[in-house]
Amino acid sequence: MSQRTLPRLLQSPAVLLLLVWMLVPLGMTLYFSFIRYVLNSLRRPEWTSPSLSNWRGLGNYEFVLNSKDFWFAVQNSIFIVCSILFATVILGILIAVLINKTFPGQGIVRVLLISPFFVMPAVNAVLWINMILDPVLGLNGLAVGGINSLVEGLRDAPLVGWFFSMWPEFEPISFRATQTSAYAVIMMVTWQWTPFAVLIFMTSLQSEDQQQKEAAILDGASTWSQFRFLTLPHLGRPIAIVVMIQAIFHLSLYAEIEIVSRGNGNKNLPYLIGEFANNNIGAASATGIFAVILANIVAIFLLRMIGKTLME
Amino acid sequence: MAIVAPPSRFSKYGRPVLAWAVGLLFFFPIFWMILTSFKSDADAVKPEYLFVFQPTLENYLNMTENYDYWRFAKNSVITAVSATIFTLFVGIPCAYAMAFNPSKATKDVLMWMLSTKMLPAAAVLYPMTFLTKSLGLFDTHFLVIMVLSLINLPIVVWMLFTYFKEIPKDIIEAGQMDGVNTWGEFKEILVPLAWGGIVSTALLCFIFCWNEAYWTVRLTTTEAATLSKLIEGNRAPEGLFFGRLSAVSAAAVGPIVVLGWFCQKQLVQGLTFGAVK
Repeated sequence: MSQRTLPRLLQSPAVLLLLVWMLVPLGMTLYFSFIRYVLNSLRRPEWTSPSLSNWRGLGNYEFVLNSKDFWFAVQNSIFIVCSILFATVILGILIAVLINKTFPGQGIVRVLLISPFFVMPAVNAVLWINMILDPVLGLNGLAVGGINSLVEGLRDAPLVGWFFSMWPEFEPISFRATQTSAYAVIMMVTWQWTPFAVLIFMTSLQSEDQQQKEAAILDGASTWSQFRFLTLPHLGRPIAIVVMIQAIFHLSLYAEIEIVSRGNGNKNLPYLIGEFANNNIGAASATGIFAVILANIVAIFLLRMIGKTLME
Repeated sequence: MAIVAPPSRFSKYGRPVLAWAVGLLFFFPIFWMILTSFKSDADAVKPEYLFVFQPTLENYLNMTENYDYWRFAKNSVITAVSATIFTLFVGIPCAYAMAFNPSKATKDVLMWMLSTKMLPAAAVLYPMTFLTKSLGLFDTHFLVIMVLSLINLPIVVWMLFTYFKEIPKDIIEAGQMDGVNTWGEFKEILVPLAWGGIVSTALLCFIFCWNEAYWTVRLTTTEAATLSKLIEGNRAPEGLFFGRLSAVSAAAVGPIVVLGWFCQKQLVQGLTFGAVK
């Protein structure tokens, strides 16, 4: 056996499996996106099986681009992803800087902090939308109810009663409503992924140049300028990585959206694809191709960055 | 001369207090779920029993009756364990060849593998449903195992590659001089040296398999349905069953969260593909 044969043989199962996994379904999606293909049609039964004779060209793409749902789903996807990114990066940096120095119980705090990341998405969503955010029975409802009865009691109090009788009755926010269900998703995913950002920023902070820091302290640099001119630039790269990895994960959020409101008023691209796939396979496939393009825009930058460090 | 900043009042008192507050705040939802799981369904929604209540084990004892928990848990264990083993079985030889016999194409192959991970799953939803249904694989353990393996294979190869790369080549070459064949080289030198890396890769792969919530929900109905599917199917109890729902949720995530504590470090490497050190 030649020098090259064995390594190739060892790599081939993994490569072949991934090749099939990627090419076959994606090729089918591409094909379906160019034909008329629906699951049920009484008037046009010939469209219910995939065939080249039902060629539609770019018709499915046109249909998708002209549908209001599609643009809403794109905007909503971007809104959800950007909000989560903003919150996790800011919180991640603050918390990482906070717990990076030794203090009593540092190990335990780390364990507490990282825990949300390992909760399965379905449980995360069920837990938040019911036990925490439910407007009547969740902590959200109970807390607002508590404040209301407290204010109610103070209304009859002597001296200050007039003040509290001018307070309104508070209404708990329902996070299952069309306008608010996206906020619920943003909240629960931020809770789950902030630990990830913290972990990465902490790993990176540990490799920060301490001598440079000491020199800055000697020069009388304030804590803020140390952070602004030393720590933050040092975190530039990890921030970029956190942003891109999360963007790729969150562009395909599904379980949370399904559980919170069944996509009611809060569809993203994967959810819209699922809805189209109940009948209009052509449209679902065209939407799928758009989702691939959107994800690839992020992926190209991420891959380039990872590629640079790969062979170091 | 070492320069030590004088300990400010913040770092002495403020930091620990604030850090503990943040840690407890993030853990609170999990704590709340565990607490609720010990309340009866009726008590779970009453404000007067928020923290003080009569603890009960009935939610855990009735998990089989209420949710058929163990059937789903069994499916989760079977699929996640098999997928982890299969992924390692395919991934270890691949990463081994890449780390010790890299060719010009190795970097490109690694990057390409990673790019498969970045395809949005939903884009191939219908073809997967169509293919698996026509091949008779829909809702089978085999299918779930294969899908879980394939979505985790890129991460596993990457992680193993970064571990194997750290092993000095001289050791392998010395082995070759002594006439050790590839299998011996692998078994006697590589596995003992990279054992820690292999174990943590396996743990992380297992966690990801366990938590997967797109394909396990879309490609199963009953036979091969995992815990993700079970929880997703009971999404909105409207307050009626908070106690029992908390118990089944806590049982579904508890072991994994504990397992996760042990692989925090590897998580960074596994999810950033070695780009953050």
